[in-house]
Amino acid sequence: MLIINCPYCGERDQSEFSNGGQAHVARPSDPEKLNDKEWSEYVFVRSNPKGIFFERWVHSHGCRKWFNAVRNTATDEILKIYKLNEKPPSLDEFTNNLKTPSGEPELGSGNFTVKK
Amino acid sequence: MSSINNTKSFHLISSQKVSFTFDGKKITGFKGDTIASALLRNNINLVGRSFKYHRPRGIYTCGIEEPNALVQIISEHNEPNARATVKRIYEGMIVESQNRWPSLKMDIGAVNNLLSPIFSAGFYYKTFMGPKGFWKKIYEPIIRKTAGLGKPPKEFRSKSTHHHHNVDVVIVGGGISGLIAALKFIDTNYDVLIIEQDSFLGGTLNNSKKIKEINGLDTIEWIKKTEDLISKSKNIKILKDTTVSSYNYSNHLIALEDKAVGSLPPNYKPELVLHKIRTQHTILANGYIERILSFRNNDLPGVMLAGSFEKFIHRYGVVPETNPIIFTNNSSTFSLLKSLVELNCKPSAYVDNREENSIEKSTLDYLKNNNILFYTGAEVEGCDGRNIIREAFIRHKGNIIKLKTNMLCVSGGINPDVNLFTQSKGLIKWDDNLFTFKPENAFQNTIVIGSASGNFNFQKLNDEIKNKLNFLKGVNDTKIEIISNVENDYNISEIWDIKPEKESLWSKSFIDIQNDVTVKDLRQAITEGFDRIEHLKRFTTNSMGTDQGKISSINSLGIVSKILNKSVEEVGTTIYRPPFAPLSFSAIAGRNTYEFYDPKRKTPIHSWHIDNNAVFEDVGQWKRPWYFKNKKGETMHQAVQRESKQLRESAGILDGSTLGKIEVKGKDALEFMNLMYTNAFTKMKPMTSRYVLMLGEDGMIKDDGIVSKINDQHFIATTTTGGAPKVLADMEEYAQTEWPNLEVYMNSITEQFSTFNISGPKSRAIMRKVFSNIDFSNEKFPFMTFNNFKYLDTEVRIMRASFTGELGYEIYIPPKYALELWKKIFHSGKNLGLVPYGTETMHLLRAEKGYIVVGQDTDGTVTPIDLNLNWMIGKNKKDFIGKRSLSRFDTAREDRKQLVGILPLDKNKKILEGQHILEINKLPKKVETPIEYLGHVTSSYHSPNLKHFVAMALVKGGKKLMGKKVYVSDPSKSETIPVEIVNPVFLDPKNKRLLS
Ligand SMILES: [Zn+2]
Repeated sequence: MLIINCPYCGERDQSEFSNGGQAHVARPSDPEKLNDKEWSEYVFVRSNPKGIFFERWVHSHGCRKWFNAVRNTATDEILKIYKLNEKPPSLDEFTNNLKTPSGEPELGSGNFTVKK
Repeated sequence: MSSINNTKSFHLISSQKVSFTFDGKKITGFKGDTIASALLRNNINLVGRSFKYHRPRGIYTCGIEEPNALVQIISEHNEPNARATVKRIYEGMIVESQNRWPSLKMDIGAVNNLLSPIFSAGFYYKTFMGPKGFWKKIYEPIIRKTAGLGKPPKEFRSKSTHHHHNVDVVIVGGGISGLIAALKFIDTNYDVLIIEQDSFLGGTLNNSKKIKEINGLDTIEWIKKTEDLISKSKNIKILKDTTVSSYNYSNHLIALEDKAVGSLPPNYKPELVLHKIRTQHTILANGYIERILSFRNNDLPGVMLAGSFEKFIHRYGVVPETNPIIFTNNSSTFSLLKSLVELNCKPSAYVDNREENSIEKSTLDYLKNNNILFYTGAEVEGCDGRNIIREAFIRHKGNIIKLKTNMLCVSGGINPDVNLFTQSKGLIKWDDNLFTFKPENAFQNTIVIGSASGNFNFQKLNDEIKNKLNFLKGVNDTKIEIISNVENDYNISEIWDIKPEKESLWSKSFIDIQNDVTVKDLRQAITEGFDRIEHLKRFTTNSMGTDQGKISSINSLGIVSKILNKSVEEVGTTIYRPPFAPLSFSAIAGRNTYEFYDPKRKTPIHSWHIDNNAVFEDVGQWKRPWYFKNKKGETMHQAVQRESKQLRESAGILDGSTLGKIEVKGKDALEFMNLMYTNAFTKMKPMTSRYVLMLGEDGMIKDDGIVSKINDQHFIATTTTGGAPKVLADMEEYAQTEWPNLEVYMNSITEQFSTFNISGPKSRAIMRKVFSNIDFSNEKFPFMTFNNFKYLDTEVRIMRASFTGELGYEIYIPPKYALELWKKIFHSGKNLGLVPYGTETMHLLRAEKGYIVVGQDTDGTVTPIDLNLNWMIGKNKKDFIGKRSLSRFDTAREDRKQLVGILPLDKNKKILEGQHILEINKLPKKVETPIEYLGHVTSSYHSPNLKHFVAMALVKGGKKLMGKKVYVSDPSKSETIPVEIVNPVFLDPKNKRLLS
């Protein structure tokens, strides 16, 4: 159970929040201008990486505000939380040394013993 | 065999006698006894039958790691798989053994042992492949009867609560390391929680006499003094009888407290408490676990871990056997030898796997001085006996020596209990001297101390804890002087399994005693290619029991490493997963049961509905009248036919208070509504209403309702009863994430207004009687308009709308006035034939009229075009949610399933919902190839007004099939029902009634 630091309310238990999937997938401003492929990519296609992920959360049992978070999906570490109107952090800010898709982080996935 | 009471070390047992029953037999122990210690006190060692082979099993350990002595506690709601070595007895406790039939001593399932060649590794996967149908009818019922552990309780009964803690430091384990750590926090600014699984502090200090004194005090005195100091410190709290079961991310721990210890709690108190703990730092002082050795018949009753045997002596004052054989490969067993000798109980032999030059001189001297038979560089090859061990076979310098015995104490070494540490996602490392994994890199704020960190030397304990806690500001300095009775350094030889001298069906060398996994199974699985440790575990079920292989999982890694000729760290470990110890479902549920979990929502009219014999239907959490029973014996069908007929003849009233209502306000409310719904609101006149649709971005219908426009800055939308929370959440999401530039606010007002729907030809007359000052004429109050009116000291909003196809009105009133108004309407409508109706009649009437219900006639794959609702789409709007998807190649296909009406050609035929629409008139007797189907029936009702069934269906390319004859399947026959595809509006297609 994560602790999530709502930018409006402060630290709260994960059970108060709902996850909204990938962040920064803007709704096209003029959908009619897109062809079927472009539109269906907006509607249906989302990424699901192991490692650093920019995602949306909403404080559904609290202030009901949406915000963004950067989370390492392999270890569950929430690395950054920022409001919708704030500039997203650059990926370079975070060390992302995972050999995805099948790699594991050296520390934090719970699956490995120290190798000599 | 003869157990005796250890009167020298009796500190944890009072002299008060307590009796309980075990398999119906009365057993007497002392207050403080566990079930296991009381049974041993009474010379009972056979306590259960094994999981797969039904072999007799005894008490193997003295704690939470117990694989065998699992019992069912009848007096605690039949709690299954309770560990007899943990659970304390109380007067009147009822305990039963598990997995035996008809009785423990004579168990028919034991024949499984002789059939064991077919029960080898992976046998479930291999054996029960076919023939078809055998699994469900034959294999599964037999396996369920003969395999497994306890029986699940029939009812959910136990009471539990959840407690939340937010602290700075959690110390897991109140043994010597945990207590020393706690001393560092006395009267500091840290909020500290100590969690101890036993009913008392001290941990291993209670288990043996390894330590003579601490700071000049006898160990028991030191524990008492330390506990006293801790208790006086206001910043430290101690939880006893509490086991940490999981260590999650962000230093979140879950611990289970058993309140039924030593007595049942009073009826009004919880039996279990689940502690949810958030902490800044976690100190793991959860000690070590002793492990087994695998040899022939190492599962026989009478075989027990050496450390556990000693624990029974010192904790419970019971010596399970006066002259056992001790078999060890390490130095930790010396104190057991000493404990026995000091009680004048001489071990009949001491077998040490270590060579003489590796064994401590003090041990060898002690053996010689006390004239004890001992073998070095030796091993126990196996043992024999029926329901109890009778003889052990010692392999020494190539010879086999047979010794008679009643008990065999085994120690395969000790290892830090790394379960919680690995749950926290820390890394562990193999130690080539200790032959065990040790915590290496913490992932969270975790500090591991004492034997849990692999430090088995008491002399080094204080310095270790000091160094590890030094980084915390303001902790106390502690001076701990320990005088030991034994050598301080731990020493061990590497041995995992012992080659058997003879082979027979009966002779088995177990690696996982609870799951009946043998060393042979491991070898076989590797031969078959399951050489990855996670695969091997699942294929053999090794360490997958309720004990999670606590005393043997390291051994299996050792054995596998030898078979594969790899190092243990190369073999790796399986993931340690929560819970550390079994967690009752009722503890997880806590107070979230029944109405606390799923509240019942009732409308203000609920009491009237009950008084008028309403039969209720659950719609989400709401209780809605389904239909009203007019008189005794009236069936649902009769009631619904009566209500439906009467409404179309005179009038009916429905409690619609459960409908979702959302108020939308703001400068940009109009633009927002235009984006959220398919409909165009711009040209809509103020104080009018519209039937509306909401789509997903994929173009599929998500919800419908009525939107009332007060002005361009103020709208009220209704939603379906179940859809209300989701529609509000979606509105909020779009307003915040996609269109933050729009100034718009929304709020749920579902419970601020009660809603009644009055409809039928007489509804205008009834409304005139209730609201005599309002003009309800068609000219002043046309269809789909609304207005607010003064009523008593409040306001009602009345809307001309209908879901039945009749002239109708919707009344919105604050709930405080609702029941009184409802009764007034009834009084006024009495002579005009007003009938109360429920949801079933509502559905029937709307089906006659061809109105859809979202979620019944739609299923998330249906667009407005599929439903012939093109007129509801604001085609001139530049954009709305889902608009672009309506022209996607797939959504624009003409052969999509479309809504049509279904009319049986024979008017007496019954059509059922969910049935298939087919092109063929008869189903073949034996279906060999899939039969193509055109669609399915979504709604079907017998219309009392038309005197036949009216149905709606989603049919492939249905719009082009008007007038075509097709067939509807019937689940009871191979005959199909010939029907005609028609327009779904069966009644009043010109809306004469609606607009009257
Ligand atoms: Zn918040």
